[in-house]
Amino acid sequence: MEKIKYTAKIKRYNPETNESYWQDFDVEVEDSLTVLELLMYIKDKIDETLTFRAFCRSAICGSCAMIINGRAGLACKIQAKDKIKNGVIRIEPLNHLPVVKDLVVDQDPAFNKLKKIKPFLEPDPKKVPDNLKVESLVTPEEFAKYDKQTDCILCMACYGQCNALEGEEAYLGPFQLTKAFRFIMDSRDGMDVEERIKLVEDHGIWDCVQCQMCLAACPKGIKPAEDILDLRRVAKDVGEDNIATRRAKVWFANVFETGQIDKLHLPEVAYGDEKGEEITQQLEEEFRNRGVKEEEFSPQPFEGIKDFQKFIKKLEKEL
Amino acid sequence: MKKIGIYPGCCFQGADIHNYDIIELFLEKMGVESVLLERSACCGGGVIDETNKMIVYGLNARNIALAEEKGVDLYTPCNTCYMVIAKTKLALDSDPELKEKINKILADEGLEYKGEAKIYHTLNLIRDFIGMDEYKSRIQRKLEGVKVAPYYGCHVLAPNEVSLDDPENPTVLREILEPLGVEIIEGYQNEYTCCGYHASYTNPNQKEKLAVKPLEGAKEAGADIVATPCPLCHKAMDGYEEPILQITQLINVACGSTPKEAFWNYNKTEVKISLG
Repeated sequence: MEKIKYTAKIKRYNPETNESYWQDFDVEVEDSLTVLELLMYIKDKIDETLTFRAFCRSAICGSCAMIINGRAGLACKIQAKDKIKNGVIRIEPLNHLPVVKDLVVDQDPAFNKLKKIKPFLEPDPKKVPDNLKVESLVTPEEFAKYDKQTDCILCMACYGQCNALEGEEAYLGPFQLTKAFRFIMDSRDGMDVEERIKLVEDHGIWDCVQCQMCLAACPKGIKPAEDILDLRRVAKDVGEDNIATRRAKVWFANVFETGQIDKLHLPEVAYGDEKGEEITQQLEEEFRNRGVKEEEFSPQPFEGIKDFQKFIKKLEKEL
Repeated sequence: MKKIGIYPGCCFQGADIHNYDIIELFLEKMGVESVLLERSACCGGGVIDETNKMIVYGLNARNIALAEEKGVDLYTPCNTCYMVIAKTKLALDSDPELKEKINKILADEGLEYKGEAKIYHTLNLIRDFIGMDEYKSRIQRKLEGVKVAPYYGCHVLAPNEVSLDDPENPTVLREILEPLGVEIIEGYQNEYTCCGYHASYTNPNQKEKLAVKPLEGAKEAGADIVATPCPLCHKAMDGYEEPILQITQLINVACGSTPKEAFWNYNKTEVKISLG
């Protein structure tokens, strides 16, 4: 086993003095350490006051999520040597959660948000027998709809990397919405879909900015941002009518008609009020000022659009 | 002469029609022949997913097939088009069953998704298609003294499977900007915070709160201007105190165009840079 030298740059926080600072730890250690083992080495050999949360060391308990080189992940799942950039690894606590000490964050605010979506099964009496001796059956096809989402270990890496939380503190968060999706898809769940959707509307699915960072953060390969798009689809399908669902409808209708969206008239239709009309008028003004030709204001169907429309219809039917 | 297929997304439409002129000029400066991928359609923009994800795969399989029909690779300057199309390519290349199903439907239009065409965005187009040496050789004047803060935007770095560079330590944007002779300002506050463009409809407050953050960080760090490859980030972030331009707008000027020919004057926030 080879030894390598590098610097662990760790963001520390001392709650007693309320001081937050970066500290460099120069180490010469085996090249086979995980980031968690590196932290354990530093605690053991250099500074016993270094504080972090960890337990299973096997990427299953979800305790050791932190930001490593600007990206959230599990310290126990990541090889330290892969993360050395110019001789340095940067380690800091998850974003958007209060730091308790050093790399330990208070997870309660995120768990409290999780509670808002009622993260448990409300058994559908038609599907779940009240007699415990009879199994509640789920077919493989039914389970496939939310199989991946059940892999969530609540590590909060996605939450700590989320851009939507950067803009809106009250946003429910990625894993919370993935959990909501998981119960909506569960064939045994008896709660009305409308009711479940209501739970994710307030600072929920519409706050997400679709940056895709939660996909990059998840150690289990779950895709919260994509689940959120699915939740928006479900919201639309159960009749939710707002600027976002109207946008989704007109967007698809535009593409079907011409192949492209009509950016000029989209605000008018999506807002569905005076404000939308105003935005469309402003845009039109901008178009004119820039010398855009009237016939280029809105996209025209391309040649062969009928074949394209048949293609879309077939996709809808056959996939 | 190298040849590339331009995929026209919504960033080339209406008031943004000049974005097309910008990249056409850019490709000309780089000595790359371009062909417009006619009959191509919207990538879905992460919105058609709210109707049906499979349609998104179908649309983009078709977009790529249109490039393959012409025997060219596909190029889009838009981060989101790049990400959505690259995701589709990954899905189809790893799922032969899905590919076959979509190809059966594509056959009606005489198209086939083969999986041969590469997906390019301005960043990897310069690095991998044009090549850094060729790129550098095309630069005619240095924009010396201009302090530029690189801003990647999200969809060229996430999700990891489609990231154009090391997502934790990306360098490609710096490597593209440096030969322009500018001073690079990196490590500023909120350098990697999302511009919020895609929340413009779902929650306009989100967009307002986010777009200004990287701009303020860059300004505080002393940057004259922020430079992004993405036309959507540009659209979301233009109009605040700190000016922002697309990198192709800087490159075109460094390759001999006037700022007006590079549409700097179309910015809401005026670009005040003295070019020596």
